[in-house]
Amino acid sequence: MFFIPGFVIAIATFPGVIVHETAHLFFCRLFKLAVYDVCFFRFGNPAGYVIHERTNNFRALFFVSMGPFFVNTVLCILFCTAAFLPVWVLKVDDYLAYFFYWLGLSIGMHAFPSTGDLSNLWQVAPPLAKSGNIWAILSVPLIGLLYVLNFGRIVWADLGYGIAVGILGPLAIFRALARA
Amino acid sequence: MRHATCSQCGVSGPLQTYFAYNNQSYCRNCADLLKFDTVPGAKPAALVDPTICARCGADNGDSEYPRLGALPFCPTCQTYVDANPYPVWLKAGLAALLALLVVALVHGRRYFSAGRQMYIGEKLVEEGKYSEAVPHLKQTVQIAPGSDKAVLLLAKAALLSGDPITASNVVEGHNHGQGFEQGTDLQEVNSLFSRVGSALEKVKKATDLNTQSGKAAEAATLMHQAADEYPEMPLLRNSLPGYEAGVAFQKKDYDRFLELEQEEFRLLPESGMAAGGVASALACKYAMTGDPAWKNKSEEMLEKSRLLSQKSPDDQKDFEEFAERTRYRLETRQIIDKPEYDRKFRSSPGQGQH
Repeated sequence: MFFIPGFVIAIATFPGVIVHETAHLFFCRLFKLAVYDVCFFRFGNPAGYVIHERTNNFRALFFVSMGPFFVNTVLCILFCTAAFLPVWVLKVDDYLAYFFYWLGLSIGMHAFPSTGDLSNLWQVAPPLAKSGNIWAILSVPLIGLLYVLNFGRIVWADLGYGIAVGILGPLAIFRALARA
Repeated sequence: MRHATCSQCGVSGPLQTYFAYNNQSYCRNCADLLKFDTVPGAKPAALVDPTICARCGADNGDSEYPRLGALPFCPTCQTYVDANPYPVWLKAGLAALLALLVVALVHGRRYFSAGRQMYIGEKLVEEGKYSEAVPHLKQTVQIAPGSDKAVLLLAKAALLSGDPITASNVVEGHNHGQGFEQGTDLQEVNSLFSRVGSALEKVKKATDLNTQSGKAAEAATLMHQAADEYPEMPLLRNSLPGYEAGVAFQKKDYDRFLELEQEEFRLLPESGMAAGGVASALACKYAMTGDPAWKNKSEEMLEKSRLLSQKSPDDQKDFEEFAERTRYRLETRQIIDKPEYDRKFRSSPGQGQH
């Protein structure tokens, strides 16, 4: 198996790192959590971070932790949808389309929540779900799935997720719209 | 700054470097050992010195800083943390990202349209509606002439709707017919081209034979084979009566000749050549009977042929060639075929017409 240093991936996909951290920050502000420190991008591991106040509000914890997952996924799908056809299907030499596809994939590759975010959620979600917390009940399947997939990071599952979203998302949207 | 003493080893130091566990304080070294303690899930928690700013580390002496959440902050940092400001460059970057998204979606519209046309065309091809698929797929190929899928679909639809010229042009437009990914679609189109090529080769031979004396039957046979081999091209079948008419002319069966030329003109009502064929057959009837009614009808058909031949210079040239021979037949009442006419009156031969 080939090895690509994480910082190389981070540099090549830096817009995704920035969007990821911005989404964290956005949801911290939305749920009025104090943010102690923010790094949108750096040459290191992790490539970015947001350090914020702890909270006992599961909904706030869920959105702060998973916010980047949703924001990055949606932006990835939108950018890739605009560029999917010329790049993959029509094979047009349109450099602008390739740029948009790179941008979409870069953002999608950083959609996956960090190990720390998932661990925090996985610690509190199942007990809260058992005690009847609706948000916890609704989110446990997704958190569980991502928690399991998280183990695939060693084989670039997080990058694979971005690529899959960047291909399958636009394909599904195109099929739906083309039928209309 | 406040200090603490480790309950385990008795060492003193800054409070913020100590950990709490079971209501006891521990230095980092002892806390590290406690991590392996037997109480499940219990971990030493870092102690917070309320006189040290958690963000910038400013020491407030013995006075505590106000807390924000669980942590103490100096007034400057508290203002910063309270505001959680988005940096200006980030705001500008996000605005640019949204602008790029709009540009991307607008830019992608034409490709979406091309993709949609291909989607529709592909469905029509799957349903066997090849001629209906062609205009949709043409729109796709206009935008994406290098798309293997679109080009092969259009080539297939064009070939199966009897339009080999479009098929050939579209494949030629794809890197001069090169660079296709190997696959079943390519194999299928190659196989179609092979069949169509074989049929058109027969058409070419039949056309050549048709200009030679005594070869009409051979030409008609080849044309029948071509029409059977490429039934998707109606023009081949529709031109069969014209070739059969050649056989009848050769046999001097002018009634049958006229009948077949009229049949061809019925099938190809826009063809100046087909109209000219009827004029030629009517001229034969006049030559045989001397009845001026046939001559008048022949001249009428010749005029119709002239009008229909105005569509292209090639048609006009063909018309001039056979009109001259038909007029000779009407003037002299002599029936000779084209090769003989050419030998008598022309130095170079033209296209076949009886």
